[in-house]
Formats: sequence, C-alpha cells, structure tokens
Amino acid sequence: MQVIENLKVKEKLYIEKLENGLTVMMIPKPGVQKKYMIWGTHYGSNDSRFVVPGEEKETEVPKGVAHFLEHKLFEQEDGSNSLDVLTALGVNANAYTTNDHTAYLFECTDNFYEAMDELMDYVQHPYFTDENVEKEKGIIGQEIKMYDDYPDWRVYLNAMEAMYHNHPIKIDITGTVETIEKIDKEILYKCYQTFYHPSNMAIVICGDFEPQRILEEVKKRLVEKKEKGQIKRIYQEEPETIVKEKIEQQLEVSQPLYAIGIKDRIGKEKIEDKSTMVKKHLAIEILLNLLLGRSSNLYKRLYKEGTIYAQPSLDYEFGETYAHILITGQSMNPEKVYEEFKKEVEEVKQNGINQEDFERIKKMIYGGYIKEYNDVRDIARMFLADYFKGIYSFDYLEEIESIHVEYLNQVLKDVFKREKMVLSTVKN
Amino acid sequence: MEYKENELKQGIKLHTIQNDKFKTNLIACFLTTKLERESVTKNALISAILRRGTPNMPTQEEISKQMEAMYGASFDCGLDKTGDNQVLKFYIEVVNDRYLPNQNKDMLKIAIEKLIEIVGNPYVENESFKSEYVEQEKNNMRQRIEARKDNKATYAIDRCVEEMYPNQAFGLYKFGYIEDLEKIDGKNLYEHYKKLMQSCKIDLFVSGNLNEEIKTIVEENENIKKLQGREPHYVIPKIEKKEKKEEENIVIEEMEVAQGKLIIGLDVDIDQEELKYDTLIYNSILGGTANSKMFQNVREKAHLAYVANSSYLRHKNNIFIHCGIEIGNYEKALALIKKQIEDMRQGDFTDEEIENSKKGTIATIKTIDDEQDTQISYYFGQELVQTKVSLEEYKEKIEQIEKADIVHIANKVKVNTIYFLRDERKGE
Repeated sequence: MQVIENLKVKEKLYIEKLENGLTVMMIPKPGVQKKYMIWGTHYGSNDSRFVVPGEEKETEVPKGVAHFLEHKLFEQEDGSNSLDVLTALGVNANAYTTNDHTAYLFECTDNFYEAMDELMDYVQHPYFTDENVEKEKGIIGQEIKMYDDYPDWRVYLNAMEAMYHNHPIKIDITGTVETIEKIDKEILYKCYQTFYHPSNMAIVICGDFEPQRILEEVKKRLVEKKEKGQIKRIYQEEPETIVKEKIEQQLEVSQPLYAIGIKDRIGKEKIEDKSTMVKKHLAIEILLNLLLGRSSNLYKRLYKEGTIYAQPSLDYEFGETYAHILITGQSMNPEKVYEEFKKEVEEVKQNGINQEDFERIKKMIYGGYIKEYNDVRDIARMFLADYFKGIYSFDYLEEIESIHVEYLNQVLKDVFKREKMVLSTVKN
Repeated sequence: MEYKENELKQGIKLHTIQNDKFKTNLIACFLTTKLERESVTKNALISAILRRGTPNMPTQEEISKQMEAMYGASFDCGLDKTGDNQVLKFYIEVVNDRYLPNQNKDMLKIAIEKLIEIVGNPYVENESFKSEYVEQEKNNMRQRIEARKDNKATYAIDRCVEEMYPNQAFGLYKFGYIEDLEKIDGKNLYEHYKKLMQSCKIDLFVSGNLNEEIKTIVEENENIKKLQGREPHYVIPKIEKKEKKEEENIVIEEMEVAQGKLIIGLDVDIDQEELKYDTLIYNSILGGTANSKMFQNVREKAHLAYVANSSYLRHKNNIFIHCGIEIGNYEKALALIKKQIEDMRQGDFTDEEIENSKKGTIATIKTIDDEQDTQISYYFGQELVQTKVSLEEYKEKIEQIEKADIVHIANKVKVNTIYFLRDERKGE
C-alpha cells in the first residue's frame, strides 16, 4: 500500500490499486466520530456515447442514463431498497451524479461494517425491471421540474449552452422528461456493465480506523469480475469558439441572475499533465479573487454603486474534455458587471498584477485548502472528485508554493480572452 | 471535547469548546434580542452595517484584506429567528497556527479581537453610522427582502409560518420590511445600535484547539470592558398552549412556478419540555428520513414527489411537512399526507420504524462534536432555553422512548395551516 503524507495539513493518504483495477483510498481521522465511505464510478452525464470494450460499434444512449442508474441501483431483487436498509442502520446514505462521475455513499457513527456490506452489495448487484424503471420516471420527472424552478440552475445551464456547441456538459445531468422516457432496463444494464467495472471505479474511506484492516474488509466484499478493456468515450468535436456571447431567459426573479463564462481548453488531446492542471487551477482561483474578490477594486466599485450586493461565486470547472471559468451572482444590471469585468481584465493585463495583493490572495487560497480537511465528508468527496480528474487532492497544497506572478500574468493572457467570454442572464 | 462557560457580566457570556481535531478555530458572537415589529428591520440592518468597518479597519475592503492576509480567515454574518428572538450572528473562522507555514502567529487571538472589534466598535462619524454605508445597506436589504420569492421552497415555508402566526412575533420576517427602510438613517440606526448593545443578550463562543488563555484575552479586551451588565431583553422559549382551531386554514398562492409546493403546518400541543424528545422521534417517523411515511408513501409508492419530508421546529412546537408536486395532484397528495398523520395517530407504525428512527437520531447526536458550527449551535440552543443536557443525557432520553410515547404525541398533533404555492390560473 502506498502512503502519501502531507506535512502541511498533517494528514496521510493510503492508496492501493487492487488486482481487479479498483482504487481504494483511505484517509484516517483519529478522534472523529463520523465515518464516511464513498464509492464512485468514472461515469457521469457526459458519457452518453461510447464503445463498449470488446465491441466495435458505438453505443449511444439517451441523456440522463447515468443519473437514472443512480436512482435505480438502490432497488434489490428481494424487493428491498438499499436506501431504506441503510437508513434503518442509522446511517445517512445518499448518492449523486455529476458530469463525470456517479457516487454512492454513507456517513455513520455506528454499524460501519454493516453499512459497508449493504453499500458494496447494492452497487455490485443491479436489479432492473420494466416496472421499477417505469415508476422512477415519475419521481425523476418531479426532480427535473424542481430544477426548472431554480433560476440559479437555469442561468448555469444557459451559460453552458452559450459556450459549448456539442459537448454534453451543456445537457442537464438529469436529462429531460423526453429523454428519460426512452430509458428502459436494457439500456440501464448495458451502461451498468460498461461503466461499473472495478477498473473504472474508486472507493474513498475517511474516519477513525486502521487502513490495512479496512482494505481487507473492502476486498472481502468484492464480487469477482472479468477483466475488461478500456472504455472508449466519444465526444463530437468541439470547436474552440463559443456559440454566442449572450443568452437570456425569463423567469420570475426579484433581481436578475447572471453567469459570466469563459471557455477554456477543449478536447481530450489537450489534457495537460497533472501538475500543470493543478497549477493552472490555483492560478485561476487567485486571478479570479484578484479581479473580483472581496478586496478587489472592481468589487468595491460595483458594491459602492449598488450594482452588486454580495460577492459573486468564482469557479473554475474542468474535466478531461472541457474547462471553463464561471462567475455567478445577482445584480440589477448584469450587463454592467460583465462590461466592467471585461475592462478590468484588460487593465490588469496591461498593468500587471500587484505583488502585495498576489501574496495576500495566495495565503487566503492556501488557508482555504487547509479548511477542506475538517470534515470526513468534504475530504472523501474531494479526493474522489479529484481522483477522477487524475489529481491527488494534496497536490493543491504542494503546488501553491510554486506559483509566481509571472505565471499568473501568463494564465491571465492565455485564458481570460475576450472572444471566449459569455454572459447568461435570467430576468423577469 | 471540553465545554466551559463564563459569565463575564450579567447577560454576557463566554463559552469555550476545546477540541483538537479541527484544522480551524471558530469564533462566534451572537446578539439575541426580542423579535419585535418596531425593531426587526433595524436589527437586520445592523447586522449588515457592522460588516462595513471599524475605526481600525474603516472599509469593507480593509476588513477583507486583513482576513485574506490571515490565511483566509472567513468573516461571516447571519440572521436567525429562534423562537420569538432575532439573533444576529457573527463568525470568524481561522486556520489553526499548527497548519500555517510559520508557527506562532497568534491567529486565534487576533481573530477574537477582530470579531469583537467588528461587533463592538463600528465605524462612526459624529455619533452616526456613515450615511453612505447606511444608504447602500438599505438598498441591499431592500433587494434581499425582494429576493425572498426567488427560492420557492423556502418562500413557501416562510409564508406558511406567517399564516400560522399572524400579528405575532414569530410571524415576522427576519430581514424586516421594505416600508421601514425609508425612515432609517445613520443617526437613528446608531442610536438603535447603542440601545441594542446595552440590552441584548451577548454570547461569545470560541471553539478549537485553545492553547491560549481565552478568558484573559476576552476579559482584557477594551471593547468588552466598556460593556455594562444587563438584564437581557430576550424571550426564553417556553411551551405555549396551542390555540384550539375549529378549521384548518387553507391558503393558496399563485406564482410563476413549474412545480407546486405544498406545505402543511402542524401544531404539536404538548405541555412539557421533556415531550419534545418524543416529538423528535414522531417527526422522524412521519417525515424525517428516507424510511419515513412521507418518503415511502408519498414519494416511493405513489410517486407524487421528489421532495417529501417534514421538519420539527422545537422552539415553537410546530412540524412542517414539505412536498414538491405536480400541480394537478394537489388533492391527491393532500389526502395521502393526511392519511399519514392519521396512521400515526392510530399507532400504525412498527417497532422497527421506532428503532430505526432512534438509531438515526442518536447518530446525529454523536456527530454534533464533529462539526464546530453544529457544536456551537447545540450549546447556544441550550443557553437560550436555560437547560443543560449533555450529549450523553440527550442520547439516553432518545433511547428511552417507547411506542406509547409517540402515539401520545401523534394525538396531540393537529393540522393548523395548509399552504399551497401553485401556478397562475388563467381565466378561472
């Protein structure tokens, strides 16, 4: 078993790749009551076109299958539902689907091994029938409608729509009422067999325990599966350009919502190595805070004139085949926020970054990463999500030292390009 | 974990929670005052204006800069309605020195002093808050109050509460009212602030690895020294007799929504504090978990909803049932929910359901210690009701609950208000 220690945050990661290809990561937290286990597959809403290992032809499935599978996996052949079983054990169980992974998890204080039994059992034993698939369409239909009423979700999806021509990132994780209608049990089984193979999966466990013992317990519960080749994921070619600069939707909101997007690299061939990826992420976080963080000139100005009344959220989202910046918030005048932001970017490009501001924001980002290590849930989720991007979460703490103003100036020029920016708004 | 409290002066308390498993120290200052129509808006505005500066940090930007330089100390405010009180909450979370590049930076001490300074020594000009700041914050507050409708789910719950408590303190909106804002200026707001600081209950919490003499730091703080003891102006939450209502109050409100939000406000007419533990378990079986009657029958069996749950508001002895449904299914969903309430009355639940609910509740109690803000909320809740129950005792009380106790509660539960947020009916 490999052990990676981080001396800054004083935590250890134990990691083992099992013979069947499954990766198990463990982060012990002595003295903590909560234990958290999460099992993820590198399969999310982006993966609707692929070639099943061993086959030659491409398979295309309706949008929303990964999420549908997540809902259905709890159902067991004996009529029981694993979510009920886990809840009955007094553990808090759940699952979620993102663009690039699906995860099943529980958090508990007692009954850890019983819960592990159940989790590992249901993830490895799908049971779909025509009837239970049909029934789920009603529930997911209500989930989709719930999101339709969330203006912040709308403004986000529209920003994707404006940035991406073909990439599935622009499609709702849940699919639509129309696409989920086409899902049946054969499709679910096919996707399950393809993506729920140990070599495409990872487990993260965080809590007060001994890693070697946990690893043995995980191994005991694994069902044997035949070795499988690589899954080929197919994405229609994505141009580097944006689709359109502005997109607007009407919804009843008190104040317009906006999302400023900046499209970054696209396409698989452009994946940078791990260290560059982390450094770039950190650089963009620092840049966003310098440009529009709480202590920035632009924020001060916009706040003072009443254009914004809270700090926008500043994010960099990326996967293997997409990357973009997102700035989201509320304002009576989103156009103004957008225009001023563009101006500010150009100004900083011209004048360069202030060294003192840079040092301060860097400290802030460092502290932010340390704070991520308080809660078993945050830790486990972070390690899983980063893992599927090819990153160990500790890398952020290691790389931040090496970031300098020159690098920041470079990233600012390369990424914050006018012609890559979009503005999505939701207003009355 | 070690919890200690010190009364610094009458009505002013310091609470320390020693715990070395966190990466951070959390400092919280709560100002508790009676919720009143005359002062609700002013108090809300005070929580906003205090973020704007102090004599040493005269601008918001300066506060942010200092926080950033402290490795991203996060300064945050909140406003809560707790029983018939309005609670102004201020927090600073700071990384523990152990996890910072150079040790011994006294971050905790500095953070405590900064928080006290922000709350106790605001930036003032000629016995008045700076009018520029006041006008901006009034404007922000107006937008915030208007934004209330943006989140349909929380809006629906707030509205149900208002309908249940018309013309009563608890029916007030915690951020106040737009019509009050006009009359507020820097002078009268500062007058109000001084009164508030002389009369409210003040609780300072410090949680984390506290190797320093916290008590001395606080006692010797100039801003604490200048405060006088007081008979705090707040309401100790007590059990109130529920009014006998002949009929349920039905409220239907129309708005542009894709999904209907159905909220049912229940009265729990009990007369002893101790019965609140039974009510907690009652609520857990009714709608508190994925095994509950709401989740199982309304979501899983009838497929009427994605969200179907209930929550217990212990200070006011109300339970709120929440459901997101297809608008046309209103009657159906309502009938099914009422059946769940009736089934509870008839004792139509198993020993297993009771055991599961108890297990889940106990697991939650055990994790209180794993999160600093949860810990603080727990001790603050006790501070308000003036009863001390240790986590151990809390668990025991839950363990002792039997079926008859829950049925007893079920028979004290009555529907008070049915609130439905639906789409706009055209031409009806």
